[in-house]
This record gives sequence, structure tokens and C-alpha cells, in this order.
Amino acid sequence: MSTILLIDCSPKMTQAVTELLGDNVEIKSTVFEEKMNLSSYSMAILESSDDQKYALQQIRNLRYACNFRDIPIIMVGESFNNAQIQPYIMAGATEALPLDAPPVACRQILQGYMIPGRQPMEEEMKYLNHFIKNTHTVLKKMAKMEVIFKEVYFSNDFRIFGDISGIIGLSGESEGTVVATFYWTLAREIIARMMNVQKDQVNSELIHDGVGEIINMIAGSTKKNLVGTPYHFELSLPSVVVGYGHQIGHPESVSIAVILFEVGHSAFAIQVGIKPD
Amino acid sequence: MKIIIADDSEVIRIIIEKGIKLIGYDALNANNGHKVLELLEKNIKEIALVLLDWNMPGLNGLEVLKTMKGDERFSSIPVLMVSTESEESKISKVYEAGAAGYLAKPFEAEELNNLIKKTLS
Repeated sequence: MSTILLIDCSPKMTQAVTELLGDNVEIKSTVFEEKMNLSSYSMAILESSDDQKYALQQIRNLRYACNFRDIPIIMVGESFNNAQIQPYIMAGATEALPLDAPPVACRQILQGYMIPGRQPMEEEMKYLNHFIKNTHTVLKKMAKMEVIFKEVYFSNDFRIFGDISGIIGLSGESEGTVVATFYWTLAREIIARMMNVQKDQVNSELIHDGVGEIINMIAGSTKKNLVGTPYHFELSLPSVVVGYGHQIGHPESVSIAVILFEVGHSAFAIQVGIKPD
Repeated sequence: MKIIIADDSEVIRIIIEKGIKLIGYDALNANNGHKVLELLEKNIKEIALVLLDWNMPGLNGLEVLKTMKGDERFSSIPVLMVSTESEESKISKVYEAGAAGYLAKPFEAEELNNLIKKTLS
């Protein structure tokens, strides 16, 4: 059974959500804490407060707590106007749901977000396994870090909320993009370990450069593995995007595989979107 | 003696530079192919070896290698290609152009140092 976490929800809101979702889910309630663990929940629901600045900070904290997992964060309230909704979405909320909307619509929206991402088919795992193995090898050889593969699923609308992404375009027989997204602290640690220096000796420029090189090595080593398959590609030069909540555009009609890894107490994500020949 | 390290990634240049110092070489750094040719012109008598990345903006590693092997001032200097390009067909091109060796990224510093020592022995 799916479990939903209600955060800072009033008894009235708790009652409303319980009535909407009924017996199909287990509902737990808690108060907001700066560091929360959302890993065992299918959804987090937060009640909006009058202090929007605080609410936005809550959403950002919850999004970090997801550790790149595609856990819907729903902001609920009596009603929202358009000007209120946009900042919530930008901060990492999946939806701002006004409970003055018809209950049937609210129920459908909430249930829709609880449908998990599509699992890869056997054929798709054949090329994804190379990315998983090579990500492990790159971090092991270059930074002496043990990376643990956690999960992979397909999603066309997953918004990656990390701090820095290395992006490499694929062209040739197949086309697409491969992206590695990290939280800033993990990116700094990886680059420091690669260079064998203390973390405080690694500046922003070196982090940008190093993240670009990491995605270059992951994609480059995978390219060799895919020779002779419909997924073989040529590489562009890597580029790097920095900033909380940035989104990466992928070519239209390409399914995006999201591969999640754990390293130490942190996590990072590789997105692979390949349109085969 | 010195080794030219050509890579558009500063992080990779720093990693390699630290490694080669352990085996007694100093580094001259280049972030593109044109800079490699400049460094060769200025420091020709001190250069023991050139390490080239393949994918660099402007003049790429393979183009630098071909230019070096076509210039009698530089043609005897051994060149190692260190690159994410690791397909057999690409590696063949590197050897055909006259490289002394090839190492695929990712690599461990020890692997590169062993290849350098072997090439210069």
C-alpha cells in the first residue's frame, strides 16, 4: 500500500485529503523539519501557509530530501491564484492543488501523481546497463568512490532538482542527450577526490570543469560499448548548467531514463534520452 | 625534462600533472591544440613527451599529432593520446598517425605513469 506524508496539515486539511484518497493509501502526518526523510513515501502533501517565503523554503528542503527520487510534492490550500502557484512550482512543488476544486478532479489529480514511472524493458536495459556500469567505473577510477546503483525508470516530465548538471549531446546513428546532475556539496567532494586535494581547495570553476569531464567520460566509455547497436552515437563537447531547480530540455519524442545512484550520504542522477536509429 | 599535457579540462591537467611529478617530470600545460604547437616551438629541447586529449576545441588532438609527425622538428617526440574516444576504429587512427600509445579515460594515475615510463624507457 502506498504511504502519503502530510506535512503541517491542519485537522481540516487532513480530513479533506483522507476523504479524497480513501482507503487505498496509508496516510501519516508530521510537522515540517529542516531535514526530513521522504524515501519511503509515495507523495508528500504540504499545506500552504500565509508566509509564502517560508513555504517556498519548505518546498526546497523537501525536494532536496527526495534525493532525486520522483516523489510528488503537492502544495494544498483552500484556494490559489495564478501568481501564487508559479513560485511553488519553481521551488520544486509538483502541483499546487486548491481544495475548493471539485473533489472528483482533486482525487484524479492526486491519484495520477501516484502512478510510478515506467520501468525499462529488457531491450532498454541492454543500453542502460552500460551507462550504469560506466558511471560506477568513472567514479571508482577517477575519484576512488564507490557508487551504488539504486533504481531506474522512465519519465518524460521529471524535473531534476540538483545544483549542477553536466550535459552532453549525442548525434550520429542515434540522437539525444546524457545528463549527470549533482548536489553542489557532492560535486565538490567528487572533484576534490579526483584531484586529491581538500574540498576547500576546489573552486566553482574546477567544479564546473570536473562535472563536464565526468559526463564526458561516462558518455565516451559507453559509446564504445554501443558500437554495432542502434544506440551508437557520436559525442558533442560537454556543457555545464548551474543553479537550483534548473531543467534540462530533451529532444521531443524521446523517453528519458532516470538512473539514480547513491554515494555516501548523498545521491546523484543520470538522465539518458536516446532516440535509436 | 618536461611533458606537455594537452587537455581542455583543467581538472584532468591537474590530475596528470600531479602524477607525472611523482615520476620526475615537470609539466607544461595546454588547453587547446594551438597552444601545444606554441609550447613545442618555445621549449623543443626540454620536451620528453606530449600527452594529447582527442576532443579539444579548435585544433583537436589527432590534428596536433598529425602536424607534429609532419614536422621534422617535432616528429621524434613521442606522443600519447589520452581520450574518452575508445572505439577500435578511433584507436587505429591514432596509431596510424604515429602515436606511441593510447590510454582511455577514465584512468588511474598509476596506469598513465606506467605507460609514460614504458614509452620513455
